[in-house]
Amino acid sequence: MNLMKLVEYFRTQVRQDPEVPSAVAAIRTLLEFLKRDQTGETILGLRENLTQTIRRLEEADSSVAVSSGGELFLRFISLTSLEHPDLSQCKKVMVERGELFLKKISLSRSKVAKLCHTFIKDGAKILTHSSSRVVLKVLESAAADKKRFTVYVTESQPDSAGRQMADKLQNLNIPVTVVLDAAVGYIMEKVDLVIVGAEGVVESGGIINKIGTYQLAVCSKAHNKPFYVVAESFKFVRLYPLNQQDVPERFKYKADTLKAVEDLAEEHPMIDYTPPSLITLLFTDLGVLTPSAVSDELIKLYL
Amino acid sequence: MPGADKETDLTERIEAFLADLKRGGSGTGPLRGSGEMARETTYLLRRITAQARWSSAGDLMEIIRNEGRRMTAAQPSETTVGNMVRRVLKIIREEYARSRGSSEETEQQESLHKLLTAGELSEENFRQHFVLLKANVIEAINELLTELDGTTDNIAMQALEHIHSNEVIMTVGRSRTVEAFLKDAARKRKFHVIVAECAPFCQGHEMATGLSKVGIETTVIADAAIFAVMSRVNKVIIGTQTVLANGGLRAVNGTHSVALAARHHSTPLIICAPMFKLSPQFPNEEDTFHKFVSPHEVLPFTILCILTFLSELKVNSVSSPELITLFISNIGGNAPSYIYRLMSELYHPEDHKL
Repeated sequence: MNLMKLVEYFRTQVRQDPEVPSAVAAIRTLLEFLKRDQTGETILGLRENLTQTIRRLEEADSSVAVSSGGELFLRFISLTSLEHPDLSQCKKVMVERGELFLKKISLSRSKVAKLCHTFIKDGAKILTHSSSRVVLKVLESAAADKKRFTVYVTESQPDSAGRQMADKLQNLNIPVTVVLDAAVGYIMEKVDLVIVGAEGVVESGGIINKIGTYQLAVCSKAHNKPFYVVAESFKFVRLYPLNQQDVPERFKYKADTLKAVEDLAEEHPMIDYTPPSLITLLFTDLGVLTPSAVSDELIKLYL
Repeated sequence: MPGADKETDLTERIEAFLADLKRGGSGTGPLRGSGEMARETTYLLRRITAQARWSSAGDLMEIIRNEGRRMTAAQPSETTVGNMVRRVLKIIREEYARSRGSSEETEQQESLHKLLTAGELSEENFRQHFVLLKANVIEAINELLTELDGTTDNIAMQALEHIHSNEVIMTVGRSRTVEAFLKDAARKRKFHVIVAECAPFCQGHEMATGLSKVGIETTVIADAAIFAVMSRVNKVIIGTQTVLANGGLRAVNGTHSVALAARHHSTPLIICAPMFKLSPQFPNEEDTFHKFVSPHEVLPFTILCILTFLSELKVNSVSSPELITLFISNIGGNAPSYIYRLMSELYHPEDHKL
């Protein structure tokens, strides 16, 4: 199956439905590849083709989510192929289970929102970073629960994603203020809690998210404010960075930058890593987890 | 008719228990202490299993869940009642799974693995009828009761590993578990204990009398002196009312201050708490679990001039998991970051909200 066509399929997915998480779009694309693939004769061949496709997708969209979605899919293939050694039957089962998996994870955002909105009390002041669809869903549920709260959003340069978030919140009639990224320390004494999304959740329980999240976490720790992370479970990724430098380069910069620029040292990274010691709780569709519980979940899946 | 008698007898017992719970909250009713409350709850649940009318596991779980909701509504600050209900629900699920022949572990918890490999969106509805289910569940509840009986002893058995000779231990207020713990260590070691009296009820005095009766050198101090004395203390060992799902505590008033003082001096803080005190709640969810009592201990009724200055006393304080070094429970010692694992073994995620 033509790799170019697959990348087109991926891009169309994202364009048609801006709400869909990029990992889900990636998994849908890979499932489509599975359905259309005629050339594979063996499971190993199938895996190789899939790995190539994933690499191509990562070149199109270099976020952590695509990578974690891809790895999850590969794991899914391995687990299914262990049960059904015959390729054609295996493929049938895989396609069935894949559709089911997609159906289940489309519900995960609502599950997360249901868990988290009880932690938002009446009159709370919430600080969030950049634009996250999961956080938006959480705030939407809390507002639907008739809770009154105000939101501060950081502007989140260089793409001003915070302003888009503010617009969306205003459409929901939630009082919102956009603050400068540099004003996080200034505003921290006023807020009651901090909620952020995550592009990836790493094995240690830390998160990879838009640049500026680490600062936010350090500030909230200094002021003793709870720092909550909301993420779906398919964002769990098998990385274990010990510091900012350990995060692989291919995640730090946009896909176009990686291809175009020679010396990456001149570029500004788009993401940073927040260690688990700064995170109070993670809200996922698998339940409310402390950062130490995340590695347990990953071990259950991968080992 | 014998059937109808059993039913009314059962409902009478439940109503009597609910009334006890409502009264027992202030410490003056017949149910004192969480251990007894846990035992009474489990007896009642066993009785319900034996006497109520149910045909499948799903029915029984519905009945127990309803009764559980009423019991927790009667006394929200006593979390042990809810914990025991959840334990019994988990027992029922396990026995049902075992009767069906499926392996219990893989069916129970949500996980990424389960998301990937599950066949259909199968909803486990517990509708199958098994003849032996009742007997199995009652047997399992009896095992739970034996475990409840042995908790204080199991905790006390670990005392010698943690307390060494010539140490200075600090404790706060009165906890039966800590008292048994210290008394067990005193059989073989010589150490000093400093007890903070824990106003306004001053239960520390009773604790000190109890300890000195077995020959432990005890000193009683006022709550205000805790920080001052902390530099000379080797360990702080306290009990708690509830252990929260993130590893934090809900305990008697003043515990948070002790925890902060201990952290300031880098003194280890050890909590002795049996497993039935582990509750799947998180600290921020509901603020209805604070207990308030009348201020007459502090401000006697004879003083009329100060009107609405002090209307109630909060008797619980919440501590965070970073301040705690170790939890000693009847199954051994654990770090606060491991609490999530113990919780997943004791309760099913769907039962967290009754």
